[in-house]
Amino acid sequence: MEIGLNHYLVLSTILFAIGLIGVMRRKNLLLLFFATEILLNSVNIAFAAISHYYGDLTGQMFAFFVIAIAASEVAVGLGLLIVWHKRHGNIDLETMTSMRG
Amino acid sequence: MLDHILSILIFFPALAAMFGFVIHKDSIRAYGIAVSAIEFVLALWLWFGFDSAVSGMQFMEFIPLIPSFGINYILGVDGISLFIIILAAFFTMIGIASLTDTKNVKNMIITLLFLQMTMVGVFVALDAIVFYIFWELSLVPMLYIIGAWGGPLRIYASVKFFLYTFAGSLVMLVGMLFMAYFYYQATIDPMTGVGVWSFAILDWYRLILPENFQLWLFAAFFIGFAIKVPMFPFHTWLPYAHGQAPTIGSVILAAILLKMGTYAFIRFSLPLFPDASVYFMFPIAIIAIVMIIYTAMVAYAQEDIKQVVAYSSISHMGVIILGTFALNVEGITGSIFLMIAHGVVSGALFLLVGVIYDRRHTKMMSEFGGLASVMPRYAAIFGLMLMASVGLPLTINFVGEFLSLLGFYQQSHMITLIAGTAIIVGAIYMLTAYKKMFFGEVTNEKNKNLPDVNKRELVALIPLSIITIWLGIYPKPILEPINNSVESVVQLMHDKAITDEAKSRIPNLIKEVEEVDISITSVEGAH
Amino acid sequence: MEMFLYIALFAPLVGSLFATLFAASPKTLIAGVVPSLLLFISFIASSILLAYVLQTGGAIHVEMMTWMATGDLYIPFGFVVDQVSVTMMMVVTLVSTVVHVYSIGYMDHDKGFNRFFAWLSAFVFSMMILVMSDNFAGLFIGWEGVGLCSWGLIGFWYHKESATWAANEAFIMNRIADLGMLIGIFLVYWNTGTLQYDQAFAVMPSLDTEILTWMGIFLFIGAMGKSAQFPLHTWLADAMEGPTPVSALIHAATMVTAGVYLVVRANPLYDLIPDVGLFIASLGAFVAMFAASMALVNRDMKRIIAYSTLSQLGYMFVAAGLGAYWVALFHLMAHAFFKALLFLGAGNVMHAMHDELDPFKMGGLSKVMKGTFVMMTLASVALAGLFPLAGFFSKDLILEVGFVQHHYIIYSVLLFTAGLTAFYSFRLVALIFHGEERYKLFGIHPHEAYKFMLVAMSPLLLLAIVAGAMKMTYFEMVTALLPATEYHVHSEITYWIMTIGTQLFVIAAIAFAYKKYAFSKVSVPDGSSDMEKSFIYKLLYNQYYIPHFYENYFVKPYREMSHAFWKEMDILLVDATVDGIAKFIYNTGENTRDMQSGNLSTMLKWMVAGTVALLSLAVVFALAVRYLGV
Repeated sequence: MEIGLNHYLVLSTILFAIGLIGVMRRKNLLLLFFATEILLNSVNIAFAAISHYYGDLTGQMFAFFVIAIAASEVAVGLGLLIVWHKRHGNIDLETMTSMRG
Repeated sequence: MLDHILSILIFFPALAAMFGFVIHKDSIRAYGIAVSAIEFVLALWLWFGFDSAVSGMQFMEFIPLIPSFGINYILGVDGISLFIIILAAFFTMIGIASLTDTKNVKNMIITLLFLQMTMVGVFVALDAIVFYIFWELSLVPMLYIIGAWGGPLRIYASVKFFLYTFAGSLVMLVGMLFMAYFYYQATIDPMTGVGVWSFAILDWYRLILPENFQLWLFAAFFIGFAIKVPMFPFHTWLPYAHGQAPTIGSVILAAILLKMGTYAFIRFSLPLFPDASVYFMFPIAIIAIVMIIYTAMVAYAQEDIKQVVAYSSISHMGVIILGTFALNVEGITGSIFLMIAHGVVSGALFLLVGVIYDRRHTKMMSEFGGLASVMPRYAAIFGLMLMASVGLPLTINFVGEFLSLLGFYQQSHMITLIAGTAIIVGAIYMLTAYKKMFFGEVTNEKNKNLPDVNKRELVALIPLSIITIWLGIYPKPILEPINNSVESVVQLMHDKAITDEAKSRIPNLIKEVEEVDISITSVEGAH
Repeated sequence: MEMFLYIALFAPLVGSLFATLFAASPKTLIAGVVPSLLLFISFIASSILLAYVLQTGGAIHVEMMTWMATGDLYIPFGFVVDQVSVTMMMVVTLVSTVVHVYSIGYMDHDKGFNRFFAWLSAFVFSMMILVMSDNFAGLFIGWEGVGLCSWGLIGFWYHKESATWAANEAFIMNRIADLGMLIGIFLVYWNTGTLQYDQAFAVMPSLDTEILTWMGIFLFIGAMGKSAQFPLHTWLADAMEGPTPVSALIHAATMVTAGVYLVVRANPLYDLIPDVGLFIASLGAFVAMFAASMALVNRDMKRIIAYSTLSQLGYMFVAAGLGAYWVALFHLMAHAFFKALLFLGAGNVMHAMHDELDPFKMGGLSKVMKGTFVMMTLASVALAGLFPLAGFFSKDLILEVGFVQHHYIIYSVLLFTAGLTAFYSFRLVALIFHGEERYKLFGIHPHEAYKFMLVAMSPLLLLAIVAGAMKMTYFEMVTALLPATEYHVHSEITYWIMTIGTQLFVIAAIAFAYKKYAFSKVSVPDGSSDMEKSFIYKLLYNQYYIPHFYENYFVKPYREMSHAFWKEMDILLVDATVDGIAKFIYNTGENTRDMQSGNLSTMLKWMVAGTVALLSLAVVFALAVRYLGV
């Protein structure tokens, strides 16, 4: 059995679902970042697979963009997370409700 | 300078208001009076430069703003708008001159000057988008005036005023956009498949719309205008706004801002949608009757003299609406004249209420009684304005009311008969209010030593009294230019009408007037 | 001649403005003298115009300036002096000059002396506009102008609740009629294309009778208000709250006759619609008797005279309605003289009695007030219609008109009313001037009025006596303009029987009044006598309960409805709906703000929910488009 586009897309979907559930369920900010990374990478897989399938490099280029932006996002996010942890001693989402409407 | 007088009329007060921020607060009053006096002189100059014999637009200005979408800065004035502009300049001047609020005078005067810009802008704009911008901008200074200097319920009243009228205008904006889209569709060149965008009102005048489009568009514009007028049942913001606004706010609101709605009916609804105007003539006439009788009765039940005047405004606006939808020269001319007349008289009445409020800090009629012996001059001027409001011949109001009702009589005898009760119900609430305040013995100790009207108040009241009588006896200088412009509007409506009913209801004047080309052939030709 | 026209018209205005200058200052004699002088000048100018019209038989027509012009409508300030208007001008200027001079004495001690003359002269000016205008719009100016001045003068003593109430009642009731007038004017304009009398009347014969009928009806409704015809009559009696000279001038001699003037002026119209004319005549006859019956029992001197005025207006409308316009105008003139005289006499009595109005509390005043006594008696004789005073010539003529035109019911009603008139007039005279001096019980020391007041009244006395002699001159003059029908009873014998019979009937009524009130003992009624307990007496004394009816069935419901409209409809329905919409939007926001909990986890869940919802919508639409082809 040859591994085709469908397999990659199914993998991507499964990963996306895992990421989505993680985003909804995790109460820890660090784990939330992990879940976000999974979401982004699931999309990256889809990009790369479809790009390969069509023989068009644009998709793979987008995947690189996503990786770069994800890296910078994590860098900034982790910085903020450390500051938050220094101030409050935890990184629990339940305590971060100062933006309540 | 006459070439750009309309732009100067709009932006001079605004620039002066900006400059006002750096004026010392002790001299701001004098500054405000000077600026508004100059503006008034400019408005008079406009009148002298105005050629009464021409029925079309004069002093037109044209500056492209977004030409690709047909949005341009087009100004012009005709007999319909001329006198409302002069009235706006006049009331701003005497409003500032008779200002008695001492709190934050500087802000008040700057706000008033900004308000003046928007008022003049509304009446000279000939581009729907420019019109809309000024229309909405006029809400802001008024919101501030009511909200900052008003009575105890001022926040509620000002927010209600703003949101209510704003909501209506949005519907109107949708109508305007659709109108422009329709113009684009109508002008599509079959060769290139490209049309022309235009928001110029005079361009729109040349469009003949199918009847069902007219009905929907009429309704969209109607919502915006009706709330502004205000027509029953959209009127409830007005008593609050008047009740809470300071004297100057009420004066400007009643004298000028309400006229924007009725003016817009004549500028937009009638010439753009003649068939729809005929179609909706009777429903609107019935609303007008309700306005006249119902609000007059509500006015009779009021305990607060300012509310009596506020509700009386709605009642009079009913007569104006009726005259407008008479769709003949007599009626429309009468309704425009009545706009000016009502501006003068209701403005004066609000000023008069302000006089007594300054002295006693109450507007409840039960607090007064017997004022005629304490303040005879005040009673005399109030009596004059009361009689003008009631529509006594040889006062300014009578001319407008008489012509409006006379005009509608051609369309319907029965409705005019019922609407004519305006002269009865008007007398009932006004005379009752006057009796409560001025007649009888002075029972309240606090009223025994009230000073009569002082010089500052007379500065505002005497010119108004003179105008009230002068234009009642000799309305010709105003009536003539109005008449000429109205004739061209009526003729345009008759020519555009497509249904038989509309053709027969709107008179053909072609025998009397020469063919007047009121549409500009191209926008570029205007400047 | 035009100069005299303008002098006659504007002299009262100048007088009014002059007095206005002093309005706020305390009594200044000059503020009364100057308007009186100016009115006298106006009277002289009117006399010159009268002489001119008599000599040349022509009319003077001037157009001062444009008033309103728009579309096809053109209304000028135009004035015409012809046979009809000059008659009215003479009556108005003469009576008002007399009343002005009289008022200088009458208002002597009043604080509002200057204000009074400002109003009074303004009234004369309005009245002159009313009678001199050459178009319906000008007539309407005067019409409303006299209404305004009447309001100001009835409510002259504004600190009195009853006076201001009566003033407002008069104004509002007149306004109801004015609406009819306005509609009549609209009808004239849209059907004839003009409001000028001559042009409009020239077109009328070619119009549809139905339209003419409506025109006639609506214009007459206007006339009914000013002339206080049933059912708009209640204001006239209440208007007696004003100072007595006002009652004499406005509510007897001039303003209330404006309605008659309108019908006379519009005679080409009413000639075309005899049915409306007959209605006017019938209403007139009814009002004549109706008002006279109320005067029989009333105990207020001025109200009795007011009802008498109402009754005489009814006579005039009978004549005008039956097409005898010149007779109506003649009675109008004669009535103005003797009725004004009667009112001014009553004013003297009021002064003497310190504003006491109940004639039962007077009696025997002839000893102290000889001049007034003679004048009031003669005025009453004229009113009763005894030969050879003015009333005989004018009133009997109306009876003859009814008889000659075979309207026997109207004739008998009017004949009966003539008896009532004689009775109540002399009941009043007897109660005031004869019998015991009942006023002594109340500690009043009556005195005669100033000499010059009596002198001022004397022209009216003279005219009340000799006006009848002018009948033929007058007839020749006005018939240049009005239909010149002479009303002669065909058989000589019938004529003499009618005339002498009427005279005897009237004399009998007078004798009865004297017997009952002058030669028998009269006491101040206290509600105990049998007569006062009778139903008829109560009915008449309460004016047929009509004011009561109006109060309960018009005024009160209007007040309650207004209140309900405000409190229940405007606030609870209309405004509450608007606020309801605002509240709904506000509450939606209030309720959904919980979503914005600030908890990142919850918000992410909402985000996912939103994404899912949007995605599924997109899928549903895509499927719908593909399979249903929507």
